[in-house]
Amino acid sequence: MNKHILQVAKFEIVRQLKKPAFWAATLLIPLFIGVVYFVSFISAASVDTDVHFDEETKIAITDDAGILSPGAPYVINGDKEYGIEMVKNGEADLYFYIPADFAENRKAEFYHISEGLEIFNTDSGILKLILSQDATTRVSELDAIALTGEYEVVDNKLTKDGADSNALGKAVIPFAIGIVFFMFIALCGNRFLLTVVEEKENRISEMILTSISSKHLIVGKIIAMLTLGAIQIAALVIPVLLLVFAKRDDAMVASILAMVEIDPVSIALSVLLFIASAVLYAGVCTFVGSLVSTARDASSFIGPAIIIMVFPLYFMQMFMTEPNLIVQLFTYFPLSAPVALMLRNGFGTISVPEFCIGIGVVVLFAVIAIRLAVKTFQKNAINFSIVKPKFLRKR
Amino acid sequence: MSFGGKTVIKDLSFTVKKGEIFGLLGANGSGKTTTVRALLGLYQPTAGELLVDGKKYNSEDSSITIGYLPEERGLYRKENVIDTMIYFGELKGLKNPRAWSEKYLKRVGLFDKINEKVEKLSGGQQQKIQLGITIMNDPKLLILDEPTKGFDPMNRRLLMEIIEELHQKGAAIIMITHYMDEVERLCDRALLLKDGTARAYGTIAEIKKEFGGKSLDQIFVDVYGENYE
Repeated sequence: MNKHILQVAKFEIVRQLKKPAFWAATLLIPLFIGVVYFVSFISAASVDTDVHFDEETKIAITDDAGILSPGAPYVINGDKEYGIEMVKNGEADLYFYIPADFAENRKAEFYHISEGLEIFNTDSGILKLILSQDATTRVSELDAIALTGEYEVVDNKLTKDGADSNALGKAVIPFAIGIVFFMFIALCGNRFLLTVVEEKENRISEMILTSISSKHLIVGKIIAMLTLGAIQIAALVIPVLLLVFAKRDDAMVASILAMVEIDPVSIALSVLLFIASAVLYAGVCTFVGSLVSTARDASSFIGPAIIIMVFPLYFMQMFMTEPNLIVQLFTYFPLSAPVALMLRNGFGTISVPEFCIGIGVVVLFAVIAIRLAVKTFQKNAINFSIVKPKFLRKR
Repeated sequence: MSFGGKTVIKDLSFTVKKGEIFGLLGANGSGKTTTVRALLGLYQPTAGELLVDGKKYNSEDSSITIGYLPEERGLYRKENVIDTMIYFGELKGLKNPRAWSEKYLKRVGLFDKINEKVEKLSGGQQQKIQLGITIMNDPKLLILDEPTKGFDPMNRRLLMEIIEELHQKGAAIIMITHYMDEVERLCDRALLLKDGTARAYGTIAEIKKEFGGKSLDQIFVDVYGENYE
């Protein structure tokens, strides 16, 4: 690689790494994930949402509906007023009243001494548990299983030709890569946009363009910005992967991991698409940056480009089925291609050759965008000195 | 050289000899800076090129060393002085840009600002940094656009010393300036531009002779007229 490109890249990387703002932006999301995880961990530890009761819990039930079996535990002979009185004087911790019209209205009443704001109180579920357990004693074992719902339905999806289809499992990694791409844009977009504006705003272009060519300057800057983006993405992804690894025995994480299907071809193509899309985005932002002379102008120009990029998301439904004309247009239109390809890869509605062509389109337009950025920067590098037309100067 | 169909430089050709100081003169808007920018490829000229030792100039060709101090001055404002100088030194192919920069900063009295951010320096101090960057690769051709603009007399003297040193080393120097006394004192030859065309070209003595022995100041006024804006 040309030494000027490496010198520009090194300078840009080092100066960004020295900025506290870079590290603040880099570490903010992992820190946020950490805080959310910590809070949810604390909440999970302190809040028990399972319905259960121990021997010491004093329960009383008045069964006016006659739903419980004769001799069922906790049933008292007293009426509703008597039950409430038991709660008041501490003879019962929990009192349930099942009215005579329970079958018709399906409403029972629950009385207990309040302990303040009880958002997660699950004691009312105790009645359901008692009624369910009592009902199962009166039916066969199979009926009891059917009634309690204590069984698992294993989902087996098939493709049209009868093969096992794990669409969700296959979609996890492509969509995860898609999410990382959006994070990449969110973290790096502004920096890409402003990377060449600085030279123009601070009037450095003339000094620098007599030392190196605009091509080497732009390519060096793009390499630097992509490297910095990779550092930020690594800071984001590595903690998440570590968290998943640490919680791999957790039931939910384990079930997701078991479901994930690793398709090396799809993953390799997704990574290729990610890199090509990042370069395309960098090229487009640099091109916009080289067109304008101030940071403010750059921000207003890039808006439409970003809207086009994310436009396929508004038509997500269409990407789930066989591609129609609109989906094909999004797939091969340079700015919308990255997101369209990521969606189609995730939903499994694109063949490998088609995906490769799509990546080729993204690469081609990334190269065109960078070439345009170089030409435009060369032409506009010193547009700060362009004198306003006379009719504007007179006012 | 044209902008939007309007020709701003017409059939201009001049030679700067090795080891001479050449004055590029003209009123504001006469095309001096545009000429230099076109020569350096910063503007795409409609026709013509800059030849150094008979070889077409290209910023990537390390065998042609050019130093250009533009009229529009600017540096990486948020970077510190030494990092900025080292960066440009590396781009210009210096073997030890730090050592060169430290030596230069000591000479121009800015060594104590070595780790300061550029934006913390005064305008004059920033100009000294830019001058350092311009001359750090020992240029064969040095182009200075209004080099003394914004300098106090002391710093102007320092600048002239540095220019003289480069001149002694054999560099060709193009000076774009409004100060006719500087031209008379420093320049071997000059070119006076008006509306993108050469109105006078030759040694200072030849130009004076052509205009009946008048001073450069008077020649300037004669060419542009008293009421020129």
